[in-house]
Amino acid sequence: MDKVLVDFIKALRGNGVRVSTSETLDAVNVIQLVGYGNRQYLKSALNCTLAKSEEEKHKFEHCFDQFFSFNSLENLSENSVPEPPPKSFLDKLLSGNNQAAQSDQPSSELGQLLLQGSNQAIATALANAGSAANVGQIRVITQKGLYGRRMMMEMGLEQLEQEMWQAESSEDEGQQNLGRALRSARDQLREEVRSYVERQFLLQATGESRALRESVMMETRLDNLREFKNVQSLVRKLAKKLVATHSRRRKVYQRGKLDVRSTIRHNIPYSGVLLETHWKTKRIDRPKIMAICDVSGSVSQYSRFLLMFLFSLTEVINHVRAFAFSSDLIEVSEWFEKENLEAATDMTLNKVGGGSTDYGRSLQSFADICLNQIDHRTTVIMLGDARNNYGDPRTDIMKAIQDRARQVIWLNPESKRRWGSGDSEMKRYQPYCTWAEPCQSLNQLERFISNLLRYGQ
Amino acid sequence: MKTDISVEQIQAGFAQAGYICSQPIAMTMFLAYKLEKPVLVEGPPGVGKTELAKATAQLLNWDLIRLQCYEGLDEAKALYEWKYGKQLLYTQVLKDKLGDLLKGTHGLAESIDRLHEFGDIFYSEEFLEPRPLLQALKAEQGTVMLIDEIDKADHEFESFLLEMLSDYQISIPEIGTVKAKRHPIVFLTSNNTRELSDALKRRCLHLYIPFPDAALERSIIQARVPDVNQQLQQQLVDFVQEIRKMDLKKQPAISETIDWARTLLLLHTESLTPEIVESTLNVLLKHEEDITNVKDDLRSVFKNVLKGKP
Repeated sequence: MDKVLVDFIKALRGNGVRVSTSETLDAVNVIQLVGYGNRQYLKSALNCTLAKSEEEKHKFEHCFDQFFSFNSLENLSENSVPEPPPKSFLDKLLSGNNQAAQSDQPSSELGQLLLQGSNQAIATALANAGSAANVGQIRVITQKGLYGRRMMMEMGLEQLEQEMWQAESSEDEGQQNLGRALRSARDQLREEVRSYVERQFLLQATGESRALRESVMMETRLDNLREFKNVQSLVRKLAKKLVATHSRRRKVYQRGKLDVRSTIRHNIPYSGVLLETHWKTKRIDRPKIMAICDVSGSVSQYSRFLLMFLFSLTEVINHVRAFAFSSDLIEVSEWFEKENLEAATDMTLNKVGGGSTDYGRSLQSFADICLNQIDHRTTVIMLGDARNNYGDPRTDIMKAIQDRARQVIWLNPESKRRWGSGDSEMKRYQPYCTWAEPCQSLNQLERFISNLLRYGQ
Repeated sequence: MKTDISVEQIQAGFAQAGYICSQPIAMTMFLAYKLEKPVLVEGPPGVGKTELAKATAQLLNWDLIRLQCYEGLDEAKALYEWKYGKQLLYTQVLKDKLGDLLKGTHGLAESIDRLHEFGDIFYSEEFLEPRPLLQALKAEQGTVMLIDEIDKADHEFESFLLEMLSDYQISIPEIGTVKAKRHPIVFLTSNNTRELSDALKRRCLHLYIPFPDAALERSIIQARVPDVNQQLQQQLVDFVQEIRKMDLKKQPAISETIDWARTLLLLHTESLTPEIVESTLNVLLKHEEDITNVKDDLRSVFKNVLKGKP
């Protein structure tokens, strides 16, 4: 029976609940204690063992309901014995003495289970057959019939059918009733098996295919990403991963510098003899970020993702301020705080997007708004292709920004080869950037942010 | 001691102790008791996370040891501390007695050998001041250990707890490993101000206590404030349930519902009226902004509450 559990955990993992091996072992123990008998108990027991956050609890509930759902079986055992066909009064009189034998008892194992067993027993048998037939391995929907058939065989369909045919061809009324009951039970079972396989497919295959899709998305160029749904959740996931790896390193020990105050304080118990030494530490502030996004026609698709990503990162980095420009620049941080991500990006694109690019004027506006707020902790990120329609690039402002900021980073959605070609001013801006990087896929974006957090400290 | 206990018994036992709980909570307690695993309880403030630990202690008739976490909590406050004063006295005494002890020895090497013959009790259990965690481990009787608001403590403290949570033992560098005489039931509560590490979560059973549904909340009120009449009880629970649907800074929790019920009882209220609600709203809501919001919508909320009535 543990195979059912393993399949279930596989499905959970596929649906984004992280289950470790030790938790699996816990679940095995739990099931030994609780058993499969009571659905509600099983659910809450597994829930507290496997799902470890509110979000995971929701996913768990969905998965559990899908995986262990045999609702339609509830009607099976009750309705499976069809009403005896109406008989004339005479017939009734004739057969009145053998009412008990009206419908014979089935002899095959599956037949007995279907007609007399409890729902729980049927569900258990179904799950067992499912794991024996390796339904968890199903990859494509066209395999549905194959796996369904295998499951039915596993449950002992052959004997059932033989008995059914025998009963139906027999003259005896009781036998005929039995045959009818068996036939209807078989049809319902088949229906149930089919939907079981289908659910398994949905559960298992979504996990597998999602992993595949995500790895594809990571490599895809940003401007093609529009095609994919779930980009946002992937971006969130990236940000979360970065948060997890980076939010902890907040102190750096300065080796060799004694913290005299703390050392004395901690050695009072030793009557002032300095036994324990304490060293100076440096608290690391997370970098402040100002992001300037070009949302003019040519790069607007990129900006959508870049803004999305920056804002998923607000948890790691305090004070992300976002600006957007095409022909002129405005601050958009406020919208991002109040609206949800999608709405805010749309608002930004509607408000400033689509104009012809003017880097000079936008830089001037940026300087007017907040040049004096840039300090040694600020990282300024420019997102744009630096295509300025042959206008004045105002590199003097870039220089002023670079002088004040900790670092200036330019992320360009064009590949390096095209920098400086045509109306691209990238070559002229580049000297004023701490780094200038091409940024074409989520992978590159992730690498950049990771570097930002590492070196930005 | 009860060695065999079922989920239903736990639920009934809690009810007797005045803690009305849903089946998942009872199930988690059952598993925690059977598998001897710590329980991480999460949920909004005021849904009875701390109460659960208290009720468990009461049910099992075990001692409750509580450790309130805060930023800067370290092992000296959570685990053990040396009794420095006593240690100093000991060294003083030792100094005085040293002459007597070393009488008749010749040379340094011999003196040192003699000194080694006496057990080193400077770092020994006698000079150890046990703090909550160590108390729980050393207790002869079973104990319920409540580590409250673990999310307020630092990351370091969290990883320091791991040994205790998985093996019920703690390493003290000077002495060695202290193993639990009897595995305590450990509760960790968190208000989710920050994400806890996976390592910690992995070792615990995870229980999320949401706001209760109307039926459960009514039975909680019934148990805690039994003097409230049926009609008022239903009205006030419906009202609170309705308010929780609104967009509030801090939603009223069970503890606030109970307070409110007590307030209404004190005012001899027979049934809810907008006036009464308006004057007692500050019991239920803890932000000026929320109070004004609810006051503005009071009529419509009332309409919804009373609609369910014949």
